[in-house]
Amino acid sequence: MIARGDGRPDRRALLLAGGRGALRLSVAAGALYVVGTAIRRGALARPLEESATGVLRPPGALDEPEFLAACIRCNLCAEACDTGCIRLFGPAEGRHTGTPFIVAEERACNLCLACTEVCPSGSLFPVEDASLVRMGTALVDERLCVSLNGTGVCGACHTACPLKNEAITQGNRNAPTVHEDACVGCGLCEEACIVHDRKAIRVVSGRSFA
Amino acid sequence: MKLPKPLQVGRRSVQLAVIALTVLIPVAARYANYLSARQLDDAIERFDGSVQGHSLALVDGALRLATGAESGDVELRGDEREAVILAARNVRGSTWSLELFGLTLTDPLAALESAFASRTARRVMFVGILIPLLGTILLGRVFCSWICPAGFLLEITGFLRRVLRFLELRPGRVRLWHGNNYLLLGLGLGLSAVVGLPILGYVYPPALVGREVHNGITVMFDRAEDGLVGFSAAGLTVTSWFLLAIVLVEVAFGSRIWCRSLCPGGGLFTALGAFRLVRVKRDDKSCTQCGECVVACEMGLSPMLDRTGVECDNCGKCVANCSDDALAFRMVGSERRARKEAVR
Repeated sequence: MIARGDGRPDRRALLLAGGRGALRLSVAAGALYVVGTAIRRGALARPLEESATGVLRPPGALDEPEFLAACIRCNLCAEACDTGCIRLFGPAEGRHTGTPFIVAEERACNLCLACTEVCPSGSLFPVEDASLVRMGTALVDERLCVSLNGTGVCGACHTACPLKNEAITQGNRNAPTVHEDACVGCGLCEEACIVHDRKAIRVVSGRSFA
Repeated sequence: MKLPKPLQVGRRSVQLAVIALTVLIPVAARYANYLSARQLDDAIERFDGSVQGHSLALVDGALRLATGAESGDVELRGDEREAVILAARNVRGSTWSLELFGLTLTDPLAALESAFASRTARRVMFVGILIPLLGTILLGRVFCSWICPAGFLLEITGFLRRVLRFLELRPGRVRLWHGNNYLLLGLGLGLSAVVGLPILGYVYPPALVGREVHNGITVMFDRAEDGLVGFSAAGLTVTSWFLLAIVLVEVAFGSRIWCRSLCPGGGLFTALGAFRLVRVKRDDKSCTQCGECVVACEMGLSPMLDRTGVECDNCGKCVANCSDDALAFRMVGSERRARKEAVR
């Protein structure tokens, strides 16, 4: 395009074109940065509508910002899930859209770890042993637990726990005690808890979904 | 009336199989969940006569047949149950990332944008994209013409455009700059890196279709569990409108305008397949310059003038429509070799 006629390049025009190209490129890069930051701080930074305390990521998930960056939103973990506890966020959830989550109260993870084996992006990191999983920690609400508030004798959480006597031990009237260092946060206790409306034992992920 | 060419029959079969799998995989996943929780018989009974019931029964029949389990309305024995659950999970995922009997096939675009967004290259990704990458380098953008579910959907636009032309409503023939794909691909990857999120997966149809279908089927089964059996569009989201918008734009403004000039994956595959070994070649002696191939080409290329550059997705429509048998797929280099032979 520049001095194509005689085949020899016009140096001045070439230099000008180069300058214009560099200018355009830097303007484009600047615009990209502004738009990207706006997206990150604006629409996609919206917190989740569901209360974040009830939401867990599947086993082996990277830390939250890294997880959101690496996850390719491909459905594989949800389709590999044995219990069907892994669900995918719908399109109204901004940057979380298409990423997997677990609401243990409805259906808990049985630690089959199929999701960590199938994940093609490495955002669910393979975990060697189920006892090394850290999805969260179970917390007992003493006012709601029937064994602790004196309204009955239960022990459902202890029965459901895959790490019985390590993560949950039982005391008087089957009252549960959670041991944070051993609890994997699978949520089977929360699913089994007989207290309705608001479970007496809940797994908290400690992740910030905001 | 010409008989359809075997290659086109094969291509259509693969496309239809991809669409069928896209729908069946989430159903099979749900089926495996029910079977694993010993709730399958209960579910089939409760959803009886509805879409959900029929689809579970279909998957049930197919998997019993595949695993050699006793068919019909009998309960599965312990070992049969295990085998059927395993079989149900043999194929999972979508065209974005698929696991096929333990073999992972991931879209190279997925790996690329994940690497950009997280600014980390993870080894698992490279394992998954190996086969698609090699396939594209050797055969060109065949993903677009053989596998992409949106590509299949968009081939309908050719028919709709013919209908418009028949009604004498001339559809537009907008041609965008050919480098647009690369520009959008670069912009998307740059944006992914800045935002720290894989942005392209939210506009890339092969990723959207799988996610949308999975979401729709999940919602349909969830509603069925709440007693709302039957077909429901409640799970369809803004993604469906986006896909519909692409179809309408292609019908109104230009054949395959999305695939040719807008799709970021199209850009990536075009670049990867730039030096593909299999190309459409024209035999100058038998070609009568009738122009059938130009009409047939949805990408707006002219095989008649040997203009089958990087954009060509090797769909073979021009080859199938050539009335002089002048067009054929040839290995690059075969002509040169033939010429050398002739000289000798």
